Amino acid sequence: MRRTIEKNLGNYNLEIIGTASNGSAALEIVREKKPDVITLDITMPEMDGITCLEGIMEIHPTAKVMIITALSDKLTGLKALDKGARGFMYKPVNGADLKKAFDKLLKKPD
Amino acid sequence: MASIHNLSVKSKFALAILPLIIIIVVFDYLQIQEHYNDYTDSQRLNKAIVVGIEINHAVHELQKERSIATGFLSQQGDDFRQDLLDQRERTDSTIQAFYDEIEREELADLVALHTEELRDLGTYFDRIQEIRDNVDSRFISADQVINYFSDINEAALKTVNGLISESRNRVAAEQVHAIIYFLKAKERASIERAIGTQAFSRGTLDGEDHSLFTSLIAEQDAFIDAFITIADQASVVYFNSTVSGQDVVEVDRLRLFLVQNQVLENDANYWYQMSTTKINLLKKAEDFMSVRIHDYTEGISAEANRSLYTVLIVDSTIALLTFVMIAFIVSHLLKDVETLEEFTKKVISGDLSQKVNIKTRDEIGHYADTFNIMISEIKKSQLALKKERDKARFLYENIYKQSQVVFENVEQGIFLLNREHKISRLYSKAMETIFGTKTIAGETLVNFMRTLLIPRDLEALEMFMKHLFNPEIDEDVVNQLNPVEQVKIFTESGGMVNTKYIRLAFTRIENKAGAIQQIMVTVTDETEGVLLQHKLEEADEKKKMEMEQMLSILKIDPALLRGFIVNSRKVLKSISSKYEQHDGENFDELLTFTFQIIHNLKGNSIVIGLQILTDRFHKIEDGITKLKDNPKVVGNDFLTILYEINEVDIIVENMSDMLRKVANIYNKFSGEEQTDTNYDLIDSLKRGLSTMSEDTGKAINFNFANEKNLNIPKIIQDPVKDILIQLMRNSIAHGIEAPNVRIAQRKLIKGNIAVTLDNDEVSDEIILSYRDDGSGLNTAQIIEKAINKNILQESERDKLDEAQIVDLLFSDGFSTNENVDEYSGRGHGLGVVKTKINELHGTFKVNFEKGHYFEIILRFPATVQNPIEE
Repeated sequence: MRRTIEKNLGNYNLEIIGTASNGSAALEIVREKKPDVITLDITMPEMDGITCLEGIMEIHPTAKVMIITALSDKLTGLKALDKGARGFMYKPVNGADLKKAFDKLLKKPD
Repeated sequence: MASIHNLSVKSKFALAILPLIIIIVVFDYLQIQEHYNDYTDSQRLNKAIVVGIEINHAVHELQKERSIATGFLSQQGDDFRQDLLDQRERTDSTIQAFYDEIEREELADLVALHTEELRDLGTYFDRIQEIRDNVDSRFISADQVINYFSDINEAALKTVNGLISESRNRVAAEQVHAIIYFLKAKERASIERAIGTQAFSRGTLDGEDHSLFTSLIAEQDAFIDAFITIADQASVVYFNSTVSGQDVVEVDRLRLFLVQNQVLENDANYWYQMSTTKINLLKKAEDFMSVRIHDYTEGISAEANRSLYTVLIVDSTIALLTFVMIAFIVSHLLKDVETLEEFTKKVISGDLSQKVNIKTRDEIGHYADTFNIMISEIKKSQLALKKERDKARFLYENIYKQSQVVFENVEQGIFLLNREHKISRLYSKAMETIFGTKTIAGETLVNFMRTLLIPRDLEALEMFMKHLFNPEIDEDVVNQLNPVEQVKIFTESGGMVNTKYIRLAFTRIENKAGAIQQIMVTVTDETEGVLLQHKLEEADEKKKMEMEQMLSILKIDPALLRGFIVNSRKVLKSISSKYEQHDGENFDELLTFTFQIIHNLKGNSIVIGLQILTDRFHKIEDGITKLKDNPKVVGNDFLTILYEINEVDIIVENMSDMLRKVANIYNKFSGEEQTDTNYDLIDSLKRGLSTMSEDTGKAINFNFANEKNLNIPKIIQDPVKDILIQLMRNSIAHGIEAPNVRIAQRKLIKGNIAVTLDNDEVSDEIILSYRDDGSGLNTAQIIEKAINKNILQESERDKLDEAQIVDLLFSDGFSTNENVDEYSGRGHGLGVVKTKINELHGTFKVNFEKGHYFEIILRFPATVQNPIEE
């Protein structure tokens, strides 16, 4: 994911300030660095993705969270939107989709 | 209060004016009553004075009678007898006059008012006769007589007082009181006369009588003083001038004797005469005052009468004027109000053509002006409304109806969702068809889908709807999560349950400000598409294999393939016939037989690059190998092998069909406008040659010369190719030497095959020459072989020329190679070539030089249309 973002979103004025391999590590980073944009793989080890999202929104309510999932379960995605996520992508992520999704997330005109 | 609010303006006016009218009427009534009371009062007073005068007359006479009776009783003789009798007559006449007076009609009301007092007085008067009887018989004393008469007179004066003292008029009341004081003084003077008469008659005034007498004088003076104090000037003047003179002075002188009780030798009669004179003077003054008060009260009465009528007239006039004024103003007001009311009714009924006309400049006038302005505003807005209505009608006719038509006919279900997630009233007709229901409008989408979705999807839909209306979430992001993107639903129509695949798509409809107003939903019935896709998937699976076969076929030279297919089918058939004939023993032999055939076929399929069958054969080989290792093989063990062999047989058959189809396609494409090119032909020849050269380890070049840039007609390309392939096979198998041989013969290691295309315009023939740089033909070997194959008789060995020997090569069943392989030795050699040439109505000529080359020149008619079918 990190590589995909670096490769495709080079001119988006974004800096990757951290990656986490599980939910609690993610919450730790959010707590410390308060990132503007967060990509959250909802199928994660240890912690339920929705719970992690809830934690993120609690710590940092203005964060723009992009959900990435390999599951085709719509309800989980809708629940994520309900909890405050504002972007959504299915895996595998390709460059064009990523750009489009980030344009929407950052409200860039098409 | 509410009931008052609901009254008409007229009634409200009436209600407002009513108290005013009542006040005026009550005021008038009170005033008139006051004056009427004054009038009746003065009338009554006047009458009372008349009655009082009558009583006073009687009292006056009784006073005289009392004195005379006293004198009579005081003397033993009859000095006063005659006087007494005369006086009694006069007294009675005055009493009678009193009775007559109160009997008068006009005094009835007054008498009625004082009935009791007058009756009491009557009883006093009735006693007079008894007193007189006692006087005559001298039963009573003079003092007693004085007391008796004094009682009567007291009662009479009290009655007078009662009659006249009730006046409401101050002046009259004062005069009445003055007269009463005067009368009381006169009564005292009269008693004084009686006591004086008694004293002179006896010659002494002693004891009780003396003190009575002095008190009488004192009382008299006090009453006269009171009279003078309150009586009017005229009465006082009259009194002073009348009650004076010699007789009055004489009474005072005699009175002094009596007080001093000194000289009482005077005649009692003299005292009586003198005091009577004085009393008569008092009576004269009394009469004067009586007339005067009578006149005065009469004057008051007349005045009261006059003012009563004046008040009546004035008040009535004022009341009348007030009523007229009120009536005028109210009717005027009401007229304006009615005008407004009528106008309002007109306006309500829709008539705006007129203006209301009220000239008065009061509030109603202003209202009328305002009303007129309002009417003109209403007219304006009506006009504007009419324009809007026309516009709306236009829109309805031109847009709504059109969209109605669209909605009636569009295949998709289309409807709008409002902010409550409810389905719009307007939806496309297709909705009813898709969902098989007519109860659609007004339902929330979630409720509408409730029976069609599983709970989890419903929950998702509900959440999805919420997010759709949330402007913070991007529409595309939400739509990525559409839970009803494709759903399978079951609908019922006519008792039949139908399975449908529907797609719901959602589009936000925003207003100019960007707020989400509604969601447009389109429903597409994708059942046909989905079912078709399912079928396609099935077919795809099937076709995939066929395609694989097809592809593998296309890669291979058709001639090679055809040879392979024909061979395979024949061989595979030989397996089944072998199995049918088998006696059920010696399975090993059967296995070996099968293995050899399959192995051989595998080899052949490898040679032509038919991977798909190579794999199959390999699998069968594996199966057979396993059986071989198994010491106890039974019949049933062959079933798998037979099944697999059968499958292969089917594949081979399919390939055969496909091959034919491909050939047909070639034929079709080659006709008509399609320009014939040799490219494909040459290409497949090259490929075929390269495959064969690799397999045999003989490297060979292929040259194609076509200087005239001719084209072999498409229709004969396939047979031509078959011919050339067969020739190439032959060259590889028999002509072109192995590399080591070629090196030894000093030839190029790589062999060469050259094909040249030419034509003969005169005979309209295509000329195709084929030439290899192989070993040419070995005529001796050909003859040997022909004899071996029973194609040639031993006897004819030396009779053949070179051309006849070459012909042997083209006979059926001739094969010079000892080893049966894919490229030679199956009787499909040059015999086939000859057959094909004949089919194309062509001819051929063979040239060769032993050790150097083999050449065959083919000639075909250029216009051959139908090659003879195989």
